[in-house]
Amino acid sequence: MLRFILADLRRLWPAAIVVVMLTALAVALGTAVTLQERALRLGSARASEKFDLVIGAPGSETQLVLSSVFLQPAALPLMPGEVLRDLAQDPRVAWAAPVGFGDFFQGYPIVGTSRAAIADGASALAEGRIFAAEGEAVVGSAVRLSPGETVTPMHGLPEAGGHAHGEIGYRITGRLRPTGTPWDRAILVPIQAVWHVHALETGHEAAPDHAPSDEAGHEDGHGLFDADAALDEDWSGALPGLPAILVKPRSIADAYRLRQTYRQRPDTLAVFPAEVLTGLYAMMGDARTVLSAIAIGTQALVAASLLLVAVIHVGQRRAQIGALRALGAPRGAIFAIVWGELCALMLVGLGLGLGLGYLAARLMSLGFAARQGFPLPVEFSGDDLTGLGLLALAGLVVPLIPAALAWRQPPLTALRG
Amino acid sequence: MPSLSLSGLEVRFPGLDAPSLRIAHLEIPAGAQVVLTGPSGSGKSTLVNAITGLIRPAAGRVLWDGTDIAALTEGARDRWRGANIGLVMQEFHLFAGLTARENVLLPARLARAAGPETLRRADALLAEVGLSRPDQPVQTMSRGEMQRVAVARALLRRPGAIVADEPTASLDPANGAAIGALLQRLATASGATLIVVSHDPRLIARFPRRITLQDGEIRADRTAELSTPALPEIA
Repeated sequence: MLRFILADLRRLWPAAIVVVMLTALAVALGTAVTLQERALRLGSARASEKFDLVIGAPGSETQLVLSSVFLQPAALPLMPGEVLRDLAQDPRVAWAAPVGFGDFFQGYPIVGTSRAAIADGASALAEGRIFAAEGEAVVGSAVRLSPGETVTPMHGLPEAGGHAHGEIGYRITGRLRPTGTPWDRAILVPIQAVWHVHALETGHEAAPDHAPSDEAGHEDGHGLFDADAALDEDWSGALPGLPAILVKPRSIADAYRLRQTYRQRPDTLAVFPAEVLTGLYAMMGDARTVLSAIAIGTQALVAASLLLVAVIHVGQRRAQIGALRALGAPRGAIFAIVWGELCALMLVGLGLGLGLGYLAARLMSLGFAARQGFPLPVEFSGDDLTGLGLLALAGLVVPLIPAALAWRQPPLTALRG
Repeated sequence: MPSLSLSGLEVRFPGLDAPSLRIAHLEIPAGAQVVLTGPSGSGKSTLVNAITGLIRPAAGRVLWDGTDIAALTEGARDRWRGANIGLVMQEFHLFAGLTARENVLLPARLARAAGPETLRRADALLAEVGLSRPDQPVQTMSRGEMQRVAVARALLRRPGAIVADEPTASLDPANGAAIGALLQRLATASGATLIVVSHDPRLIARFPRRITLQDGEIRADRTAELSTPALPEIA
């Protein structure tokens, strides 16, 4: 019987390929949607895991996380510099690192921060050393630059009309190990350098926003930058306004207490990035429901059209089916042939669709990781088994209908007249 | 080998007032060779369908050696037909993509009635019908060769009766004659009852007993003297 089914499929190969491809594409659509949505959730959650507490000026919590954790270029409001001093002296804080952005080099964001943020973790550096002077930089693992090369910062992204800080250059002294966060795509420099490049003299109050959209107010202050100047990471003096501070609390309890303290201050906002993302996911969940409904609807449409094709096909093969019956083949065997052929095609399509969907999700994730710097893990989970089981069940049940039609087919139709 | 006995047979089709076939009585003894003739629409095929269990008559009995197949369920009729009737059709109904041997074996395999002995018999039958390449795909064969494969397929399960419906109608005269001779030779060798439907005069001429149908009834049932005696001697 298997030989007969194979010979039959070989004879009807164009139709067989269409059935397999239709099934595969419908399944691939659903698979890719599910996998990609999960990948985005897992990837962003893992990327934000390394950032315990972020403190910024009052405003959008989401924007604070997007800018500080995901390095999305956008203007953040500034908080007073003394917040950093308070945090540095707080016994509940293991370390607090300021963050300042606005410059780019070859599309990589240049992030001003302190040695504390980099030194966290014993094996933080893959090669070289942490920056020790104002004109030195450390690159993330995904940055295609090597120690010894020089980085000329560009204010804003070129496509957004940025301009180069022509006479300034950072010398790369080290490279970080991969962290799986967007910071892998960042060039880290001393925050002191960022301030000086943008003419924000320490000790000056009321610094303007220095995000990329800002085009004025820093044009000609490059004179303050001194590549060989020693780093001053004692934050007790007067500091310019800061867009964000990364905080490593000493304990989980400290984290909650710190968040409360800095939520209560009128001039600051404190967030757990993971918590902000949870809120975002809740919103994304609705979108996922819509996408899943579309994918399921597509699969139902494909199943319906395949059913139609199969029923017509059985009708066209009345003579063949009748002949087999007339020659003594039991109707059970006819049923099994029609059912088996269609099941085989649909299950092959199902398998192919899973592969295609996985491949599509992987490709999308790779593209995403190249742009955003953090990986989106594409993986199947136990939840998929239910959906997969339902699809397989549909692949087994839908062919029952044409098989039943073939079963009912009288053998007489084979003979003439 | 089974004998056939029909009595009070009536076959009706929906929408028609008169029965399409009405046979009060017909006996065909075991091992006989009979040809059914008659114009188109005379009921030849309907009679073949009724005696092979492909249709269930509205009334009457179709007794093959005492088994009334008109009283069997559809599944039982299929099983009975597979085991007892070798069917040869005008269109050969061979399956492209399979070899001659696979085509011969297909119905028996689907009925789970093909053992190792059946496999050997398939090759022997193919040789007997004059085909030397059992592994040849059927779609590469001539029409005459295809009908030989169909004949071998009909004989695989050693049926007690061979029923051929217009077996030569789609063949040229030479192949038609060869197939007619082949059917008679194989039926004689195995002792099977042979019932052939035909309007091919050359084929009809080969049979001693000719039953003529018209308008669904037996018009004539003659046993002619053949120039060469093909009937067994009557004791």
